[in-house]
Amino acid sequence: MTNLGLTHPLWLLAWPLTLVFLLHPGRKGVPYPAMEWLPMDALGRKIDRLRRWLAWAFLSCLILALAGPFLKEQKVARLGTGAHIVLTIDRSSSMNEDFSGYLSGNAKDSKSAAARKLLLRFVEQRRQDLFAMVAFSTAPVHILPLTQDRAAVRAAVEAIDRRGRGVTNIAPGLLMALEEFRDHPVTGARVILLVSDGGTHIDQDTQERIRQRFRDVGARLYWIYLRNPRSISVLHPPKRNLSETTTPEYFLHRYFQTLGVPYRVFEADDPESLAAAIATVDRLENRPLRYFETIPRRDLSAHLYGLGLILGLPLLLWNALEIRQWFEPKR
Amino acid sequence: MEEFHYRIAWRATSAHPGHHRSQTEGGGFEFHGHASLMTGADPRHIDIRASLSNPFGDYQVRQFYQTSIVPVHVIADLSASMGLGHKPELLSRLTTAIAYSAYRTGDPFGFVGIADRHTPSILWPLRRHRGAALTLARQLNGYPFQGRGLDQPLSLTAWLGKRRSLAFLLSDFHFPLSRLQALLQQLRPHDVVPLVLWLSQEWRPPARWGWLPLHDPETGTRRTMWFHPGTEKSLRLAFDRRRRQLTELCRRYGRRPFFVVDGFRPEALSRYFLESCV
Repeated sequence: MTNLGLTHPLWLLAWPLTLVFLLHPGRKGVPYPAMEWLPMDALGRKIDRLRRWLAWAFLSCLILALAGPFLKEQKVARLGTGAHIVLTIDRSSSMNEDFSGYLSGNAKDSKSAAARKLLLRFVEQRRQDLFAMVAFSTAPVHILPLTQDRAAVRAAVEAIDRRGRGVTNIAPGLLMALEEFRDHPVTGARVILLVSDGGTHIDQDTQERIRQRFRDVGARLYWIYLRNPRSISVLHPPKRNLSETTTPEYFLHRYFQTLGVPYRVFEADDPESLAAAIATVDRLENRPLRYFETIPRRDLSAHLYGLGLILGLPLLLWNALEIRQWFEPKR
Repeated sequence: MEEFHYRIAWRATSAHPGHHRSQTEGGGFEFHGHASLMTGADPRHIDIRASLSNPFGDYQVRQFYQTSIVPVHVIADLSASMGLGHKPELLSRLTTAIAYSAYRTGDPFGFVGIADRHTPSILWPLRRHRGAALTLARQLNGYPFQGRGLDQPLSLTAWLGKRRSLAFLLSDFHFPLSRLQALLQQLRPHDVVPLVLWLSQEWRPPARWGWLPLHDPETGTRRTMWFHPGTEKSLRLAFDRRRRQLTELCRRYGRRPFFVVDGFRPEALSRYFLESCV
């Protein structure tokens, strides 16, 4: 019973009014003098009693429905075996550029649209995982805490192909993504899935901080690299012309390798890379996680209105059957 | 104005000349016996044959009963139940007819109407009222029927006088039979004619299906009545049984009741008297 709550409990004050139907004898009705010696019909009395109780129940239903009962939000203990994945999405203006990869052969989609398709698939296939989301461009934006709510995650992922703006500033995004793990027990593998189209230079101080945080948290880093045709491949870098200004992604890749946590990069133009990413997450050792899923509160007044309707229909019939007059004065 | 003929099966005690058989000797046509002329009898009625056959040689004079008046009373139930439907109209018609008939027959008329008190709410003492019929009808037409009427402990004898009278008891008799028995017991000195006023609506349901809250205007009893196609039959049976019970009880006290249902025909009442008082 403690799961039930009322939106407008003041309506319950009206409830004693329903007792009127039980206690009040009702309309005085038509005078009929021969009652003294008429035979009693027990059935009629029973039906009358039933009518009273029905009216009472009907009104009680209505008043309860007006009070707006609801089932409180409930935390249901679930046993999950998934990883904790923080989707860290690049929302910089460069994500609006065309993407040339296997996902769209004619290169009409922007990178963010490609990332959306990719991530939707990823999220679809990893049903038991917990997801969080952080977007970043110039400054990071916290979007979703770690949750199993598929609808929320899907909605968040579907929204990432909106127009991005600003520059790619990976370091604050990563730091915020790492923050997501702060209050969660380590019951599954922790993964930061970085979806980005390029790198920036991270200064030495911040590099150290990020490295330290990664070690503290014990998260893995998977980088889905959205490459455009003019960029280099970080997996197969050219042997020459590597510099911090022209090919920052390569240096970022190098830096990530020095983090001291498991790190992999997937290039999204490779058809197998998504499958590889999913498979990699699959292979992670996951302990079962007891976590609580929150079920939102449910409004029960509609049920009560329905019940009221069912109770009220016979009363309507009753009302139609009521006779108002017997003896009309003949003058 | 309606009129009917009533007669009595007993001899009136009054010395006033009237229309009914009497136990008083006087100038009537009903032979009573012989008396000696010496007792002061009317010499116009000397019976020669009886005088000759008289062994004592006295002159024998025929003696006759005179016809006398009979007090006529109406004891009317003015309770709430009598205000139902067109019962007031019926009551006033009946009362008018009785009053007018009494006037036409030459009998004194008295009216005792019992409503919500132990004493009469409308009382017309025994008189030869000329305009009683009209005035009483007017009085009854506007009367607010209320109270329990005859369904209460009453002492009516004080209002009826000590002489035997013809007392019409007008009511719907919707009260316990024990009460009626007590009433009839109390009215034993009088010749009580129970007139039962009923409406056929009382056992004719207003609808085939439905329900109706009812209350007894006199006792306050409430009941919800359910009507179905069988209700009319059961109500009719109940009223038939009631009719038998009333007839059986009233017969024990002298007369069978006269039922007035919906309408009143004076000829029927005349016939009732012809049948009951041969």
